Amino acid sequence: MGSIVSTEPRHSPDEPLDGDDVALLADLARIAQALDPVPDGLVERSLFAVTLAGLEAEVMELEYVRVPRMSVRGEAPPIEARTITFTSESVTVMISLSPVEGGRVRIDGWAAPATSLRVELHRPGSVTETTSDQDGRFVFDDVDRGPASLVVRRADDAGSAVSTPVVEL
Amino acid sequence: MREATPLLWHTVRAQGVDREQADDVVQTVWVALVRNAMTIKEPHAVLKWLLITAKRASWEAVRKQRDEARRRTELPDDTDEGVPTLPSSDPTPDVEVLTHERDRGLWRALSRLPERCQTLLKLVSLADRPDYKAISAATGMPVGSIGSTRGRCLAKLRDIIDVQGESWEAS
Repeated sequence: MGSIVSTEPRHSPDEPLDGDDVALLADLARIAQALDPVPDGLVERSLFAVTLAGLEAEVMELEYVRVPRMSVRGEAPPIEARTITFTSESVTVMISLSPVEGGRVRIDGWAAPATSLRVELHRPGSVTETTSDQDGRFVFDDVDRGPASLVVRRADDAGSAVSTPVVEL
Repeated sequence: MREATPLLWHTVRAQGVDREQADDVVQTVWVALVRNAMTIKEPHAVLKWLLITAKRASWEAVRKQRDEARRRTELPDDTDEGVPTLPSSDPTPDVEVLTHERDRGLWRALSRLPERCQTLLKLVSLADRPDYKAISAATGMPVGSIGSTRGRCLAKLRDIIDVQGESWEAS
């Protein structure tokens, strides 16, 4: 007979939650948060996304994010350049973020198919607008960090507006 | 929103969605809630609705990501078996992040429980007030058995802790 170490259960499933159970659960929650922290600002980005939902623009999909692999979970947003691609049925927008003086950010954008577009940069409490050139390129050269969403519509107002999910600049 | 976001985050991450996509999925779920607010009849069903929506959106995101990865993979040694990189169902195996031996012990003990116990206990621990209906929706366990399953899982966890002599004790 093999000697399987059987352990006599010492804790009954039927006992009501006691102090230790509550402490265990609290520790589990804390550890889960330490191992995979909820990103900074996610609640704020979500709130902002909800307010933007009122614009009735079709929300594009976040397709592809290229981050230099130096950035570590849960830390402040990476300072180095990032490229993000958004897609919808009618248009694809790629933006490249790069740091500029004073901890601010430059956004270089490119929309395809190439056409003249009105591009709005929505921030909590403000909207800035620019237009893309005929190649679909646009720039916001000096913006604050924080949550932001782009709303894109054709300059001739044909078709409907599309917006990007809220990203952290 | 502040209370439920951690629960949504970890639910989405548990489906194998990477951090960047998970950020997007959580936002999308909140926007969807506002868009569908009229159709959710019972206020206490909101968390349940959020968790179900989060799971569906996560599956969708994982599926898209796999398709995308497949499309981008043009390596000659790519096999016909398809999917080049399966997202890990365990997003964070690196327990080294935990600085206290006590925490590592507890996490090790948790990892020795059956999968459904792990899922349930994580969900219960993250929910502010355990909402059995929502947890039932998220885990697929019947509402009626959640209380007893939780009791069983906690009892097992405490047995493991006792037996393996882990250093966890209620502080």
